[in-house]
This record gives sequence, structure tokens and C-alpha cells, in this order.
Amino acid sequence: MRKLSSLADPLLLEYCDSVDGLRVVRQSPPAGAASFSATYVGPAGWGFDPPGEEGTAALVNLLVTSAAGRYDRVALARRLDRAGATLARQASPEAAEVTLWGPAADWKELLGILADVVLRPRFDPEDVARVRRQLLERQLRERTQPGSRAELELLQAVFPSGHPYRETGLGDRRSLGHVTRARLLRFHRDHYTSGGALLVVTVPSRKSVVEEEARSQFGRFAETTGPSLRLPRLSSAAPGRRTVDLPGRSQVEVRLGGPSVAQDAPEYPAAYLANEILGGRPLLARLFQRVREKSGLAYHASSHLDTMRFGGIWTAQAGTGADRWRKVVPMLEQEVDRVRRERVSPAELSSVRESAIGELPLSLETTAEAHALAVEAAYHDLPADYWLTWPSRLRAVSAEEVRRAAETAFDRNRSVTVVTGPVGPT
Amino acid sequence: MVRSRVRRPPTQQFRLANGLRVILAPDPASPVASVWVWYRVGSKNEYPGITGASHWVEHMLFQGSPRYGKGEIDRAVVSVGGELNAFTDTDFTAYFSTVPREHLAVPLDIESDRMTRALISDVEVERERTVIHSEREGNENWPEFRVEEELYQLAFQTHPYRWEVLGRRADIERLTPAQLRDYYHRYYGTRNAILVIAGGFDARSVARDVRRRFSKLPASGEDVRVTEVELPARGERRAELTGPGTTPYLQMGWRSPTLHDPETPATMVLDTVLGGDTRLFAAGGGWGRAGEHPSARLYRALVDTGLAVRATSEWRPREYPGLFTIQAQAAKGVSLDQLESAVDSVLARLVRAGPTPTELDDLRAKVRRGAALSYEGASRTGFRLGYLSVLRSPEYEDELFRSLLHVTAPQARDRAQALFRRESRVVVRYTPTGGAEAE
Repeated sequence: MRKLSSLADPLLLEYCDSVDGLRVVRQSPPAGAASFSATYVGPAGWGFDPPGEEGTAALVNLLVTSAAGRYDRVALARRLDRAGATLARQASPEAAEVTLWGPAADWKELLGILADVVLRPRFDPEDVARVRRQLLERQLRERTQPGSRAELELLQAVFPSGHPYRETGLGDRRSLGHVTRARLLRFHRDHYTSGGALLVVTVPSRKSVVEEEARSQFGRFAETTGPSLRLPRLSSAAPGRRTVDLPGRSQVEVRLGGPSVAQDAPEYPAAYLANEILGGRPLLARLFQRVREKSGLAYHASSHLDTMRFGGIWTAQAGTGADRWRKVVPMLEQEVDRVRRERVSPAELSSVRESAIGELPLSLETTAEAHALAVEAAYHDLPADYWLTWPSRLRAVSAEEVRRAAETAFDRNRSVTVVTGPVGPT
Repeated sequence: MVRSRVRRPPTQQFRLANGLRVILAPDPASPVASVWVWYRVGSKNEYPGITGASHWVEHMLFQGSPRYGKGEIDRAVVSVGGELNAFTDTDFTAYFSTVPREHLAVPLDIESDRMTRALISDVEVERERTVIHSEREGNENWPEFRVEEELYQLAFQTHPYRWEVLGRRADIERLTPAQLRDYYHRYYGTRNAILVIAGGFDARSVARDVRRRFSKLPASGEDVRVTEVELPARGERRAELTGPGTTPYLQMGWRSPTLHDPETPATMVLDTVLGGDTRLFAAGGGWGRAGEHPSARLYRALVDTGLAVRATSEWRPREYPGLFTIQAQAAKGVSLDQLESAVDSVLARLVRAGPTPTELDDLRAKVRRGAALSYEGASRTGFRLGYLSVLRSPEYEDELFRSLLHVTAPQARDRAQALFRRESRVVVRYTPTGGAEAE
């Protein structure tokens, strides 16, 4: 086996001096890569949406990448195109991210564009109107597509009102209607901050150069501590099932899931492996093997463990036909119960574990992929050598630890099954 | 100053006596190796009654051979930390595995085996039938899929591009294991395959290993060229669909040139001006269209003005003449007539005056940048070399790149005049009905 230490550079993060409270992290790109990536992550997820104005965080996240500083929307797009760069954004309940990718040779200039986007978005009225229209259509899509509707129903069934994980961030027509430009500006001021935020730069330059450039480009934040999320206590909900008929669709989507552990939970590595065994590891996992390979009942069958700072969400899922979902639901439930109840065999544990360890080099093919690892580790404030030591942490997990972690991470006392699609009147 | 060339890695290319074409792209610094086998077999080689056969065979090549039992191919690659998958298109089917470099022998062994020895047993075909149905049903949940399927069905009356790669529902229901085996044995083989290996390996020893494993395969694979020729359209063709959805949706299509047609560079210019970028030289060095392109004409005319929430164009490189398409999703309260009329206005302006000097200058800068970063990573390199090879050759990329940079405004205008003729277009409109969308 190739020694991971020979890949040390992209796997080893360098925590730099902070800039006005903004944590700065540097990572080397993979050898030979000619691109760079930089990501700002701020405490600007939809968990911070003001009550009654749900969708605010999503609007701001979409708008910061629309127009900034001296660039209106078209000028910014042209500037990026001419540089061969792309600007992407995403949000979660806890945070919002903006990522700029482009040629490494121009990284300083491109970092300046990222700073413009984060610090000086324009919120031009016509852009606000356009993004609001787009978000309204996405809301409709979320409610009418079986997959996204199932996820929405699941979250609303397992998280109490006011919990940041209860929403998908799009709000509704009424809440979006309450969001004014002034509200957007205020949200941006309060949440695209230096406090509680970080900047990750994957570039073939020294740490001192990255620090200097970060200070030069981002050193204009009004220093704040950054907002923090309030999380209502989870109640013990009885397991249940929700069925939503969406006539005219072809495929039924099934989701079984509930609240789970946070990324810093002591059992996280074991929970990670439990999920890989259940449905996370492509092709090897039990759900794929049983539902698709052995039974031929679905095209996709998998599980997901989304661990965040303050908690997590687990789901087991499948997409199947209207005449087959009644067979698929018990299979998902049985496989979840089995991984909670029975110790995994040494052979299965070894196979899944070595697969998870072995794939690390594949995560270093491109700058963008390596960068994603760095952002994840830095967001959770993990040690600089987190990815270098990840294999040894996985190898230390026993079969009994996997079972116990599955019991905690896939809590069936709080789980709900959701079925959406052409299921007929219920 | 950005260099005007594609930053393609050096390759070693050779052909075995049995017809297998091999392309090696070693990158000593890469920690992984990516193995791709591209077959010149796709839905173009099917006929009514067996539509979807190429895609179904793609699934079956994971289901076992005398050497690899069911599930063992997946396990062999995934258990060493690799990833594998496959995809089928109109003109080709591609199988790939990317593994840590020290495990390169694993995918090589699999590919040399399943090129001619997949079992395609009756039992596994029947089990896979519902999986294929399920895959199609998942796609049918999206109006965009339904509309595109209708668009190609309307646009082509003779050529096999008229059916969707997944196949018609009725054919998925009726295709027999014997038909699938016959299709596989007829077309899959060394003469119709291209093996591409990219990443961290020693070219000399891997070339030796490739010869050892693949030279013993028999020369096989029947001619996969399509003889049906689609006649020029003699009038506009239209269809109206209804179904669940959010807001009205529209696709238009015009017959477009093949990858190697002299008109292709100018067609790519039109795609970039209308939609923001074009396949092969997309922004970000990636493959598909990366995000929105607010500087593109369709976006400015439809999305900025509040008529649409999305609007773009697409030209796809193909072996035979395909379609240049425009897609637009209406904003709430906007009718399909308004949307269609707005698209017509955008096209009329382009046909009348062609692209502006600024648009051409932006395009050249963007294409140069895209080309400079298009080969990062072994998987992307394997994909790109294979894709270009299955349709033409990796070297053709240079010619296309140079031609694209030299397209003039009058050439693009002339191309627009020839392409966007009302009498040769196809229009499919989708009106959502009922459900939450009516809120």
C-alpha cells in the first residue's frame, strides 16, 4: 500500500494567523494541479433566518455571488469568464459558503474578487427581484418533486418548530414576501462576518504569503464574535410514517431517518463506518446490495449521515416504483435495525474500512476535491493532520463500537418514514 | 498572456492486432490511476423493439462473468478504495474505474474479462428489468426529461437518435435475455473499443501489461456505423405536453452538425453567445455547463427581464447530426407564448447581426482559459481523451480549438442564419397541471 505520508501536502492543513477574527487556513494543491480554490465559510446558514422571514439566508447566499464591488451582475460574470474562474455557493442550516475556483497563476487577483463578493455585495434591486423569482420556483419544485418533498417532510416530522435543521432554507411564498432589501443588507452585515467564519485557500504558495494576501484582501471586516445558533431540545417522537401522494409522477421516493450525532461526537468514526456499512459505501453497502442487487426493486438505495456542528441527520433512502414501495420500506427498516442490533462481521468491517481508507488518494485528484476536504476539516476546527490520521482512527474502531454507534446515530425512537410520489390517495 | 493551446498531457497510443486502440497518459505525480473503456456502441445501434439495449448491457456488465461472480467486480474495485461506474450515450458506452495507483491491475483485469465474457444470465436480466424501469421512472419525474424525449422523437423520424438512451418503456418490458446477449456478442469487442489509462503509472510496464491481457482477446465487434440518414425537415414540428411540474417549460431544437463538421466551430460560438459556454471548452475546465451565465444573451433577455427563471442553450458533440437546443423555464405567471416569443426575438437579433466584438473577445478569453485547465486529475483526463477518441481523436481538439478562436462575426452570423430557421425547428412545450404548483 502506498504510504499516505507521500501525499502529505494536500492532507496537511496549515492554520494561519487570523485576520480580524477570520480564521485562515492554507492547503497545498495536488501535485501538478494548475488551479486554486478559496472558500469563505460564514455563520450565515438558514438556521439564522429571522422568524417569519425564512429564505433570507438563501437569498443572501445567492445574491452575494451575483454582483459585488465595482462589478454589476454582467460585469462580474464577464470578469470570471475571462479569468477562466467559477464562483459557487452553498448553504446549510449552520453556515453559508462561497467558493472561487480558477487558475493558480492568478490566485491573488481572484482572491480579491472573492473578498469583494463576501464583503461588498451590491444587492442591486433588479438582482433581488430576479433571485426572489428563482427561489419561488425552487420552492415549488421542492414541494412537487418526490425526492425533495420527501426530505422536506422528513425534516419537518423529526425536528421541532424553531429548530434550524427543520427547514431546507427556501422558506415559503409568504416568508419571502416579507424580506426587504434592507433586511437582506442587515442579514449580510450580521452574518458575513469575520467572527465565527473561516477562509480556506488551496494554493501553491507559502503560508506567509497566504496570510499577507488574506490580510490585504479581507482585513476590512468590522471585528465581531459572530452569531451563534439556538437549538431547541429534541423531543422523543414516536416512530411514524408520512405518505404524500403526488399524482402524475412515475417514481416513489422513500426516506427513513431522524436526528443524529454531531461531527465532534466521540463515536463519530464508528458512526461513519456504521453508515458506510448500511448504505453509504457505494456498491458495497447493505441497502444497495439487498434492495437493488438481490431484489431488483430500486435503481438507488443508500444511506446518508450528515454530521454538523450541533447535531446531525441520518437517512436511509430508495427510489422505486409505485407497485414496489411497500416491499422496499420494510427492507430499509430491517437493515437499519440490523446494523443497530448485530455486530458486523470482521470481513465486512474490514472491507468497508479499507475501502474508506483507500479512497483518500481519490479525493486528491484535483484541487477542487482536495479543497473540499480542507474546508470540511477547517469548518469543524479539526487538527491540521486530521486527514493524515483519519486511517488510523478508522482502524481503531471495533465491531462492537460500530454497533453501539449505530444505535445512537440511527435512533429509531425518533425516526420517521416518508413515502412520496404516485402512491394514490391515503 | 494566456497561451493559445490545449494543455493536453503527452500520450502513448497504439493499436493491438485484434483492433483494440490503447491510449496511455502517464502522470508520475498522480496518486491514482483511471482506467476507461469506451465502446463505440450506443443507442444509435439499436432498433425499435430493442431500444435501451446498450444501456441494459451496461448494467449487465457489472453482473458477472465466469471469472467474476455477481457483485465481485464492484467489490474488487471498491474494496481497494476505488470507484467505478459506467454510462451510456447515443454514440458510445463508457466504463471507468479510478483506483489508488498501486491497484491498477484490478480494473485492467476486469475490463479485459468483461469485454467479451460477460454472462448476461436470464436470472440477472430479469432482476435488472425492474432496476432499469426504476431508473427510467426516476427520470420521468422530471418534466425536462419528458420534454427532451419528445423533442428528439419529433426531430428524428429515421435516425436512431429518435429514442431515448434508456429505451422505450414497452421495449424495457419486452427485451429478452437472448436479445441482450446477441447485442453484446455482436458489438462489444476489441474492434469497437478504446482503452484509456491515465494517472500514476510507468508507461512501459503498463503497455506490456495491456498487451499481455488484451492481445489474447479475439478480434471482435461488428461494424457500428449507422446507415440511416435523416432527411431534412420540411416544416416546423411542435408538441404540447402536460403533467406535474412547477411553471411552464419550453425546449426548441434545430438539426446541428457533427463534431467534425466544418460548421461546428461557428455553432459552438452561437452556443457560447446564447448560453454562456460550450461543451469541450467550458468555463472551469469541466464538462457540463457550470452554473448560471448572466452575461449570456438568453439569460439577459429572459431571466433578467422576469420572463424565465432559467434559460440556456446546448450543443452536444455527436457522431451524426444531432440537435442544437434552447431550454427555458418560465417565471410564475409567464405564458409559454411569451417565453417563445422572447426566444424568437433573441434569435432574430443574432441572425441579423451576429455576435458583437465584445462577445467574441470574451469567448476567446474564456475558451483559452477553459482549455488550459481541462486535464486536471486522472479521471478527467481519462474521460476527455476517451470522449474525443470515440468521436474523433484527441488531436482533433487542437484543430477545433484553433478554429473556434478564429470564427469571425460574419461567419457566426451566417451560421445562425442557416441554423435557426423556423421551418426546420422542433418545439416542445410543457404545461404543469394540478398539485402544489397551482398554489
